[in-house]
Amino acid sequence: MATLEMSAGGVAKATSPSALQRKISQTLLRALTGVAALFSFAIIFIMLFFLLVYAYPAIRFNGWGFFTSPIWNIGNQYGSGVATRNGFSGAPGAEFGALVFIFGSVLSALLTMLVSVPLALMVGLALVYRIPRQLRPIANALVELMAGIPSVVYGLWGLVVLVPWISNALAPWVTSHLGFIPFLGGPTGSGTGLIASVFILSLMVIPIMVATTRDVILAQSNAIFEASMALGSTSWQAMTRAVLPSVRSGIVASIMLAFGRAIGETMAVLMVCGSAINAFPSNIFSPVNTIAAVIVSQLESALTDATGMAQRSLAELACTLFIITLLINVIARAMMRGADRREGRGHA
Amino acid sequence: MIVTPQESAISTATKIETKNLEIFYGKFHAIKNANLAVGENSVMALIGPSGCGKSTFLRALNRMHDLTPGARVEGQVLLDGTNIYASGIDPVTVRHRIGMVFQRPNPFPKTIFENVVYGPKIHGLHNRKKLLEICERSLRGAALWDEVKDRLDRSALDLSGGQQQRLCIARCLAVDPEVILMDEPASALDPIATSKIEDLIDELKKLYTVVIVTHSMQQAARISDFTAFFLMGELIETAPTKSIFTTPRDKRTEDYITGRYG
Amino acid sequence: MTNTFAETAGKTALKTRISQAWWSLSVACLVAVIGLLFAIFAFVLARGLPALKPSLLFTPTQGIAGGLSNAIVGTLVLVVIGLLIVIVVGIGTAIWTVEFAPPGMKRVIRFMVDVLAGVPSIVVGYFLYVALVEEAGWGFSLIAGALALAIFMLPYVVRAADVSLTNVPRALKEGAVALGARPAMVVSSIDLPYALPGILTGILVATGIGLGETAPLIYTAGWSNYMPTLAPTHSPVGYLTYVVWTYISQPFEQSHQLAYAAAALLMIFIFLTNLVARSFVEYRLNRGR
Repeated sequence: MATLEMSAGGVAKATSPSALQRKISQTLLRALTGVAALFSFAIIFIMLFFLLVYAYPAIRFNGWGFFTSPIWNIGNQYGSGVATRNGFSGAPGAEFGALVFIFGSVLSALLTMLVSVPLALMVGLALVYRIPRQLRPIANALVELMAGIPSVVYGLWGLVVLVPWISNALAPWVTSHLGFIPFLGGPTGSGTGLIASVFILSLMVIPIMVATTRDVILAQSNAIFEASMALGSTSWQAMTRAVLPSVRSGIVASIMLAFGRAIGETMAVLMVCGSAINAFPSNIFSPVNTIAAVIVSQLESALTDATGMAQRSLAELACTLFIITLLINVIARAMMRGADRREGRGHA
Repeated sequence: MIVTPQESAISTATKIETKNLEIFYGKFHAIKNANLAVGENSVMALIGPSGCGKSTFLRALNRMHDLTPGARVEGQVLLDGTNIYASGIDPVTVRHRIGMVFQRPNPFPKTIFENVVYGPKIHGLHNRKKLLEICERSLRGAALWDEVKDRLDRSALDLSGGQQQRLCIARCLAVDPEVILMDEPASALDPIATSKIEDLIDELKKLYTVVIVTHSMQQAARISDFTAFFLMGELIETAPTKSIFTTPRDKRTEDYITGRYG
Repeated sequence: MTNTFAETAGKTALKTRISQAWWSLSVACLVAVIGLLFAIFAFVLARGLPALKPSLLFTPTQGIAGGLSNAIVGTLVLVVIGLLIVIVVGIGTAIWTVEFAPPGMKRVIRFMVDVLAGVPSIVVGYFLYVALVEEAGWGFSLIAGALALAIFMLPYVVRAADVSLTNVPRALKEGAVALGARPAMVVSSIDLPYALPGILTGILVATGIGLGETAPLIYTAGWSNYMPTLAPTHSPVGYLTYVVWTYISQPFEQSHQLAYAAAALLMIFIFLTNLVARSFVEYRLNRGR
């Protein structure tokens, strides 16, 4: 409590709160916010730990077969008895192999990056250097809006517009004209599948990378561009051979983060992937499945497993996805920090 | 504008000259009616108070204003008699022959080797052996070879400021220009690095024609053969360096040199 | 290197043309991508707006069709409660990071928050499903759903608050301390008001994300055809994104209509949040911060 007193000279003098009051306030604030910070810090560990513990029975039950087997089978629910491996039990005939899903996740994410990275770089460059200054805020707003579209809406559009187009127009054309190229020929499927997933994922991932590319180019000073032009390069050469390489690590980091996003994307992929079980894609039009999508699509059936092993195996899947995305994120963030120094920006 | 004829008995051909050069930034008239001739294999220093337009003038000589939206150049800049602003002349070709070194060293975040051979590479030269030759030649020409010959594959950003600037000069030399434009190349460097650059310029003029902007009259007096004085966008006086600092013809030149403004 | 313009001109002309071609291609890519964006917008609005009859807003879903009132209210309740959690925890975290954390810990916390931003939403949802819905026996519930959203929205608010609080000029704070303010007072009377625009922007961004999330809610909030009760546990909650997902897969046209309507509504909400967030940024810039 501060009080004002008028001293002899007419100057107001404030009595400050006592040292004790200050100490209490400080300690309280520190403690309360510290708890909040602790939560933010620990939540990842809590989630990981919990999922691992919950999935432990499945980890023992499935063994390495989890990563090598393409069969996902919750087992015979109507018979009696259980199958026991390594001390844990599942329904007879149960086998939980995630190979199809891991393969699907990685393949669709890789193909997505293959398509999106060049596109995002092109769009980013065009956004910074070819859009008239007045239009730039609008263009930026559009890109951000694109990043904000919910994944179910992407899935909706994919299901209603993209998938029929693929099955009616794209697939027949490709398989008949380009069918000699491996993976482009063969059955045209129903439209849902690998190519649909890659298309939708690309749409979702491009805005993220465009925003980063744009930010990173703008933050870089003009000196590199000028130096290249003064040496007699064309403006395209200056951008691609001097400016972009100088921000390479920021771009690579954003690529990795986008990759992590693509692998973890659930709803949009779920709606257009075809939900393949126990089968690998034979061409780009075949159904696929990803870890994220299968966790959603298989949960109801997993609930019918009285032994609970199916649910725990789904948790094992969640752990796998968690660890993959954690690794990608940690590497990407670490790269971003080291690179600023190496590329002549910021402090060591 | 006053031009004092050369006092040297040897007359050198004019390498690069401007005729009625006007430069506008939007509505701002940055350079007014500049006529300047630079002799081959000589060093021309451009001096004047801050903001007088000497850097603006310099940048017009290799069409760097093409990169600035809103900048407009009128008049002519003649290289060996050909106007580089003529329609049909690609600025990229101009910059092959007229190189530029900037005020702050701006090496690419690449290796020393990659920096030096950047120019030849984008012009289409990929033969490794030739590139190495060019690299050595250019680094020698920039008086940097002995210091870096054992670490050509290390990052250019590890070099000191003075070394980086000499690297930029080497990079410029690698494209084999005829004219080298320098925009206050030593102003960001310490005195020792500065004197190394000045010695270098003295060597460079044997093979190239150099136009250098400097804010230091002492530097201009040390290294240049001719000096041009700019004030508020106008080229006031051009003269051999020896005479402009001792007997300037224009009162404004005299005021600047004696320190009345700067 | 050749010495006249004529000799180098041929090669240069080709390179310049190649450069121009690449730039044109980049613009074409930009147009294509923005074009697809518009296609998606147009699609959703064209089918959704006509289906958005006012009656829809006041009737709950009933079986294969009906209205959206339960979903709308459900979404709003989930997001609001999630935001409340996130505001307290997020701003608290940021305050601790900026004011009290030793330098090493600052980096660690920021790193962990960044990493949290990359965790797939389904993982968060599944964790809470296993932890709260199953193990703790709470069933599908408001708390589980709100928590799922909160964990997912947290990094955005923490980051925005962190940056805004870091930018509070030290002079202001020192002035307050010199006048005898206690630390808590300094924070509440100086830091927070100054950082408010940035924090609000972060909250709005998080809201936009929370509105559009599905995966973390499927197995935490479940689904309900009824308006949300305020029971924190054992009571599933409906939400808009669920409608879009499930109703489009039904074979009935009325269900599809509902899905489009829900999608259109979602887009409108998100667009509005975006708009408000942007004008905040404009407002802050114009005030000369």
